[in-house]
Amino acid sequence: MKKRELSLLVTSILAGILIFMQGKAFSGVDQAARRESRTDIFREIQILKNTNDNLDDEVKELEDKFSKMSNQGNALQVVADEIEKYRLLNGQVSIMGPGIRLTIDGDLKAIWLTDIANELFSAGAEAVSINGIRITESNAGFDTIPNGQIMINSVIIKSPYDIEAIGERKTLADALSQPQGIIQRMKENLRDVSTNLLQKDLVSMEKVI
Amino acid sequence: MAEFDLSWKTKTAFVTTGIFIGMLVTIQIKSSIPTSSYLYDEMEVQQQLIKSYLDDQALLKSKIVSLRQRIDENQAKLSESKNNGSLEVLQSLKADVGLDVSRGSGVEITLNDGAKAQRANETELGNYLVNAADLRDLINLLRTTKARAIAINGQRIITSSPISSVGNTILVNNFHLLPPFNITAIGDSTVMMQILNDSTSLPDLYKRAKNKQILLEYKAEENMTAPVYNGDLRLKYIKQTIKTNP
Repeated sequence: MKKRELSLLVTSILAGILIFMQGKAFSGVDQAARRESRTDIFREIQILKNTNDNLDDEVKELEDKFSKMSNQGNALQVVADEIEKYRLLNGQVSIMGPGIRLTIDGDLKAIWLTDIANELFSAGAEAVSINGIRITESNAGFDTIPNGQIMINSVIIKSPYDIEAIGERKTLADALSQPQGIIQRMKENLRDVSTNLLQKDLVSMEKVI
Repeated sequence: MAEFDLSWKTKTAFVTTGIFIGMLVTIQIKSSIPTSSYLYDEMEVQQQLIKSYLDDQALLKSKIVSLRQRIDENQAKLSESKNNGSLEVLQSLKADVGLDVSRGSGVEITLNDGAKAQRANETELGNYLVNAADLRDLINLLRTTKARAIAINGQRIITSSPISSVGNTILVNNFHLLPPFNITAIGDSTVMMQILNDSTSLPDLYKRAKNKQILLEYKAEENMTAPVYNGDLRLKYIKQTIKTNP
């Protein structure tokens, strides 16, 4: 092989290596961009912002309570207010408020009810009930009995499933019905499931027995 | 020098190749610093924003825990000076909603991504990653055993605790958590172990663990602690139903 031909061969190999490296560099950019899709990162930022706003409000409320504790009369009132609040949270009293009702007609597995409840709490629901049974610390698990039926708080629940939530109703409704949201995902995965979502001025939930 | 007496065609070929290589080198050098592109700048700003929110969140949560503790201490003093049954009721209610440090026996579960998994790479198969749904299913299972307290990586789980994923990031109580996920469940360890040993409880999770796609380990423990819930518990919309006499 003459020197000239050898030079051309080396140059061609070099050019080939560079072309390959260039291609890899571009595919790396593409992959990194896909990794953090805009929808995901914006949703994450929104969740974090809302969480911090709520935490900030909680800090202010606790600071207010703490300052009231210096006076014995006020301190007893703080205790009374807290008891009332935790009874509302625990399901020891019947409650009401604005919210949504999602009715699902069809065969569901317990995982879907877990996911819907999770989605609602994630969107700021203050209380969630399924077929009239409020989900609280004492009964928060969905059990699947051997024949496939779902049980909560020792009660078997069947279709149609009426899921109600109290909270900011538009936010709750949007969280469920958004593109790629839980309703869409459920319909894509399950056959013969129909849903009806309503925003309501008043949702009522009975106390947990 | 006679060897370099090239024809004009060869000279043109060499010059063209040289220019081509030069262009490639230039582009390569430029594209090897992707952080200078608009897309990467934007992503960096977003990541900084997320970090800033997370820092704020950690600070706010520690403030909340500290304030609740100080209020508890004042209420304890009040209880000493005034024999008031309502304080006992309040403590019991707080314990029920997760505002106490819970101690006792139970189970410790470890859930981790598979050895081949790369959480940072979105193209990674979900089967090799622990998903938020896996954690939700395990927590639901533990709840059916009437677990008294549950925590994931130090985050106390209450009824309203969301466990979600955004991309490949897992948020528990809207707080970023990274694998391995250590789940502490306080309650009847015999019942918990029984349900965890039943592979039909969570067939998909057990199948992936059996195929070594993910790691799932659990054991009964005697002395465990679940921390106090450190999130917000504000009620803006719930009101007590006022029942009127007919």
